[in-house]
Amino acid sequence: MANVTFPFPFPDHLWALLPEILVAVLAMALLIVDLFVPKDRKHLTGYLSLATILVAGVALIQVGGGTPVTAFYGFFTLDPFAVFSKWLILAGTAIAIIMSLDYIRTEENVGEYFVLMLFAMLGMMLLVSANNFVTMYLGIELMALSIYVLVGYQRDTLRSNEAALKYFILGSLSSGMLLYGITFFYGVTSSLDFKHIGDALAAASSSEHTAVLLGLVFILAGLAFKVSMAPFHMWTPDAYEGAPTPITAFMSAAPKVAGFVVFVRIVADALPALEHETMMILSGIAVLTMAIGNLAAIAQRNIKRMLAYSTIGHVGFVTLGLIAGSGSGYAGILVYLAIYLFMGMGAFTVIVLMRREGIQGELLDDFAGLAKVRPGYALAMGLLLFSLAGIPFLGGFWAKYAVFIAAMQAGHIYLVIYALLFSVVGAFYYIRVVKYMYFDEARVPFNFSENRLMQATVALTAIAVVLLGIYPDPLMELCRQAVVGIG
Amino acid sequence: MELHNVLDFPILSLSIFLPTIGALFIWLFIKGDEAVRWAALAVSVATFLVTLPLWIYFDSNTSHMQFEEFHRWIPAFNINYQLGVDGISMPFILLTSLLTVICIVSAWRCITERVKEYMLAFLVLETTLIGVFCALDAVLFYFFWEAMLIPMYLIIGVWGGKNRVYATIKFFLYTLAGSVLMLVALLAMYFKAGHTFSILAFMDYPFDFTWQFWIWIAFFIAFAVKVPMWPVHTWLPDAHTEAPTAGSVILAGILLKMGAYGFLRFSLPMLPDASQYFVPFVVVLSLIAVVYISLVAMMQKDMKRLIAYSSIAHMGFVTLGTFMFTQQAVEGALFGMISHGFVAAALFLCVGVLYDRLHTREIADYGGVVNVMPVFAAVMMVFCMANVALPGASAFVAEIMVLIGTFNPSDVAQASLAISAKWVAIIAATSVVLSACYTLWMYKRVIFGDLTKDTVKGMPDMNMREFGYFVPLILLVVWLGIYPLPVLDVMHASVAHLIEQATTTKLDAAAALAQQMPVQELAVR
Repeated sequence: MANVTFPFPFPDHLWALLPEILVAVLAMALLIVDLFVPKDRKHLTGYLSLATILVAGVALIQVGGGTPVTAFYGFFTLDPFAVFSKWLILAGTAIAIIMSLDYIRTEENVGEYFVLMLFAMLGMMLLVSANNFVTMYLGIELMALSIYVLVGYQRDTLRSNEAALKYFILGSLSSGMLLYGITFFYGVTSSLDFKHIGDALAAASSSEHTAVLLGLVFILAGLAFKVSMAPFHMWTPDAYEGAPTPITAFMSAAPKVAGFVVFVRIVADALPALEHETMMILSGIAVLTMAIGNLAAIAQRNIKRMLAYSTIGHVGFVTLGLIAGSGSGYAGILVYLAIYLFMGMGAFTVIVLMRREGIQGELLDDFAGLAKVRPGYALAMGLLLFSLAGIPFLGGFWAKYAVFIAAMQAGHIYLVIYALLFSVVGAFYYIRVVKYMYFDEARVPFNFSENRLMQATVALTAIAVVLLGIYPDPLMELCRQAVVGIG
Repeated sequence: MELHNVLDFPILSLSIFLPTIGALFIWLFIKGDEAVRWAALAVSVATFLVTLPLWIYFDSNTSHMQFEEFHRWIPAFNINYQLGVDGISMPFILLTSLLTVICIVSAWRCITERVKEYMLAFLVLETTLIGVFCALDAVLFYFFWEAMLIPMYLIIGVWGGKNRVYATIKFFLYTLAGSVLMLVALLAMYFKAGHTFSILAFMDYPFDFTWQFWIWIAFFIAFAVKVPMWPVHTWLPDAHTEAPTAGSVILAGILLKMGAYGFLRFSLPMLPDASQYFVPFVVVLSLIAVVYISLVAMMQKDMKRLIAYSSIAHMGFVTLGTFMFTQQAVEGALFGMISHGFVAAALFLCVGVLYDRLHTREIADYGGVVNVMPVFAAVMMVFCMANVALPGASAFVAEIMVLIGTFNPSDVAQASLAISAKWVAIIAATSVVLSACYTLWMYKRVIFGDLTKDTVKGMPDMNMREFGYFVPLILLVVWLGIYPLPVLDVMHASVAHLIEQATTTKLDAAAALAQQMPVQELAVR
């Protein structure tokens, strides 16, 4: 890693942050530009924010290719792991913005909506580059504060308000826990850098063990909240249901990527000395998360709530990659998150497309008879659902495979059996949606949004899921290279 | 590595993917129900023709895999696209491609809704089925094995009977739950056998007994659900009853064989010691299937349900023969599967012919059909007799071989059994009587008797199309009944090799290996 030798961190270090800086500047500029966009043409702001993401992507190509660098005295790191996850975050945000273009047309103040998404994305981009608790906290808060507002964006809707408030209160609580845990670690190690903490903890005396353990528990609890692991998942269903659907989709994918990436960094860099305790806690969390996510999803009639619980279930599977605690486990996490991003966001896009008399398709019943009216949508949704269920020839199978084989390698055979049994439970509620689409007759006439970009998104995610299912090797290889040097 | 492929042409890949390529073509370019039907027929016939060289160029003197193909697929996990067939798998590929043609013809008039989707589902299903029988890489095998659930779920769910949703979800979850443990077993074997998923490598690797024990159980759950064996058979009657005719045909003709094929390809050669250990267990379950399920079949009021239970009973015979480890018994089991593929398929088609006319499957709704449909009565008679295993029908060859093989089991099988295998053979032989009871009784109630019901009076006899798809089945059933040698010849070398693998213990080699190098156990936390 290139170390800092300049007295003042300029300009080499800004170079590594080029995508972030561009996003910050353009987002703020957009805030002003939006004032001049007429009310009935607010989707222009959406297209401009898409352009911002495109610019960030180009910048990422420029800075992301080389060797790993750290900037700002080690507060910011740009390694392949960060670059790969930034690509996922950009893709997830772009899809969420595309979904919003039509959806948000009926709302007011749409300009801020897109800018807030860009700020949330900026927070996540910082988060995945964090190898330090301060950067991590900044990233988390920038991301979370933007998303709190986005969840409560429909100000006139009770449900949206309730969701935002719940999410905000619980989110603040978890941030508090996270900070509290960090103070313990700082007290013991006098450092906020993940690697330094790791070294210091390995050398810590046994008298400090209690403080270290307390810190560990609080940090894990705080992180578990952010990626909605049980028993810290309570906010998820309400927030997902109340939020505008594009935001639900956004929350189910991009912040999970960022959260897991930083989780991996902490587990791999800061906690090797506490491997035993960490794995015990994570195993318990994984067992609980898989069960709660998959079982509770069965009882849901609202598809957003169902997908919320299904996300929790998937988070449980991804946790297995953390528990594996090896390069192949971390690579498995990336494979899983990348594939999940496509299938989860694709499924949400279909939901957004299914606007019915002003309200988008939200109840499972709303899907009845879709296959007859719109065979294309039904086919895409069917493929995405079977993929979510983890049935082969679709990407979801390889996602599960990648984390399960890593967990097997680490010797967690019982956890893998447990996870596979719950993936069968999970299959039930996914194929139930297929049942509504294909086996039932339509009851209410459909009313589709005809946005071309959204239709293209659905088609592309479905095709991606099929292609990744048939030939997952390039993705797996990318992920393997991305985690070189981690842990 | 050297690939044995006399054709120098990826014929197995072509057989696997031609149906899907055809399906894609139909999906994109063909419009109109009638055109779709003809196109689907063309694709399935082409696939059948492509699989024919497998039979013609098959070298029956060797147990080696043939028509092999090898490509790296996911090098990170050493997963390869490895294909090949031997005398055990090759006949099933032809069975699949033939039955798919028949399925598509049989659905010509009775499927009027969503014709295109129906044909696409069948063509994609054909891909996965042929893939299962060709795969020589365990993950590739699992890939096709599970992928098959998607088209089958849709076939039963969209075009099935009244209770189709319940039946298809039950089918899906039952088989999925059964197979996930197989995945765990495969992953464990991957690490144990030195980071490979090659089925042939698994056959050669000496697993010690503890490993064999647990892996055998995991495999058994997956395969027993698919066969299906008592007591995990309950999804089958529901799925069969609710599936459209062609769905039942594929289900009985091919899907059930995959479980038994799994025993022959995985359990026996990879885990010989565990397989020998579990002989009594399998024998008891098989006998329950043969005797108890036959009695259950007798009491059915629904024709499709009756044939479904009869299938379970016949598959009991197959599993019994499989675990006797003798040439006759295993060949009998294999021959039984092929014969049952034709006979059960034909019986479901017969029920389909009746169902198309009256839209009921209840036995009580028929009676005296022979008066209005003499040709149909004759055709159904042939297959009922075949189901009873009358001499001259293919099923007779299979049953007599299994019974002879059970009467003289291999030493290892007899050593594992507590009682003389002769008693097993005697109990199994009751099936000959029981199958005659339920089959002929059903035939009598449906076909003979007075023509009292007005609805039955109006039934027209079979048309040329319907008769057409029975002709090849009749010819095959009778031909294989009279002259089974060509098929048995194909199996001979491979089965002999399999018997050798299944009766040779791996424990000595496992002990030697454990001595030789420090144990690289998969530490279980």
